[in-house]
Amino acid sequence: MARYGMVIDLRRCIGCNSCTVACKSENNIPTGVWRSWVKGIEKGEYPDPSMSFLPRLCNHCDHAPCVELCPVKASYKREDGLVLIDYDRCIGCGYCVVNCPYNSRFINPIRHTADKCTFCVQRLDAGYLPACVTTCIGRARTFGDLDDPKSEISQILSSVPTQSLRPELGTDPKVFYIMPDYEVMDRVDLFGDHNYREIEDYEKEIPSQPLPGEEGGES
Amino acid sequence: MNHLIMLFNVPHYNPWKIWIPFYFFFTGLSAGSFLVSTLATVFGLKKFKVLALPAAISAFLLLILAPISLTMDLAQHFRFWHVLVPSYFNPTSPISYGVWLLSVYPMADLVYAYFIWKQDTRMMKILGLITIPLALSVHAYTGFVFGVVKAHAFWNTSIMPFYFLVSATVSGIALLILIYLIQSRLQRKRSGSTYDRDLLSSLTNMCVAFLGLDLFLDLSQWLVLALGSADAHLTLLTIMHDPIYVIGEILLGIVTPLLILSFPKTRGNLGWVTVASILMIVGVFFMRYSLVNVGWDVPIS
Repeated sequence: MARYGMVIDLRRCIGCNSCTVACKSENNIPTGVWRSWVKGIEKGEYPDPSMSFLPRLCNHCDHAPCVELCPVKASYKREDGLVLIDYDRCIGCGYCVVNCPYNSRFINPIRHTADKCTFCVQRLDAGYLPACVTTCIGRARTFGDLDDPKSEISQILSSVPTQSLRPELGTDPKVFYIMPDYEVMDRVDLFGDHNYREIEDYEKEIPSQPLPGEEGGES
Repeated sequence: MNHLIMLFNVPHYNPWKIWIPFYFFFTGLSAGSFLVSTLATVFGLKKFKVLALPAAISAFLLLILAPISLTMDLAQHFRFWHVLVPSYFNPTSPISYGVWLLSVYPMADLVYAYFIWKQDTRMMKILGLITIPLALSVHAYTGFVFGVVKAHAFWNTSIMPFYFLVSATVSGIALLILIYLIQSRLQRKRSGSTYDRDLLSSLTNMCVAFLGLDLFLDLSQWLVLALGSADAHLTLLTIMHDPIYVIGEILLGIVTPLLILSFPKTRGNLGWVTVASILMIVGVFFMRYSLVNVGWDVPIS
């Protein structure tokens, strides 16, 4: 049985956000919420500024708090390591959303259940790679079977030192980072508005497609 | 962290809006009033006898509001029954246990209230003894719901269940003081009887004790956060800048009633006692509200 994981090489990531767009497009994610995104910070002053990026998604942890604490067991860990949500069982209580130490989950405003990155399970089951991995122009993302010593990801993990996020919490994440900047991994934006206002402006400026059945939509 | 500009990060919103603070508030009031009711029936303190039935009934009525608040909060309201399906039960989730407690406790409370009404002293005591652990569990489990969340430093503390029980008791006693004052005033208009000063004095003494305990728990949490991890420091900075926490919960909800009920001049005055009771109840609501919202204001990514 495969056990999936992902390695993200920050030496190659340029912050283009193609992965963000590919994920939104592949999985029909509504506005204002993201399954996968790229966190960015700018450091330093002229003449030495620099930017650091951290592509973020669900870490599909081995000891996922969301799986442990779901009251109806709607979140579960599949044998191949994917943490998935049974959308028919989920009651939308939001406990998994508050429990995720990485803020990867959200309540889907159209489906009205919890939602998160699924490693594009529909693509995996059909034999493809996740959308973000296929799209990355810098080949920064590597996805594969951690149990197979000959897979590309196992080769990388055995030759390059990697990190994961908030390892002290004991969640055992399966997304590993090569050379992330320590400040981009840290908490930022204390007392900032966490970009809420930007997202609200964005939702107002860009009209959403009407849903099927609404005026202007398909019937 | 010098001269750092955040370009972009995704802030996934807090899924818990107003209904969850109301839920904790109602279960707290219910557990608190029920415990005061048992002072007469189970622990045999005769002077609280007049409060036994109103407390048991108010505990039950609040427990009807509690599941309604919870169901209103769900994103899938009509699937609330999923939590009661035995095969969906998650042994590592506090909420799974809590919904069963929340189903059994009101029924036990109703039977208990029935025996108080029937004035059957023996059955009152037995039912009271059975229902006390249920009442304590129903409110303590909400403390565990927060306490086990390792993602948020404000919530991830072992004093959370105890803190919930203490503030529930504060609000429950305050509610009963108000009920007793209103009831006595109505009775005075009809029959001319007066307030039982001794009972009121006991209730205010209990309030002072539990308010003091509440304040001590808050101080403990601040001290441990102040000397804790980076997340703990961020949490302390955030909560101290939040007006609902500092003014609503601490100053209005704990410090002011504590001062009012400690000085002899104001604790004997019924007007001041009423004001203190209302402040305690409102302060406990602000505690629930700030716990849910401030816990989320601290960035975790």
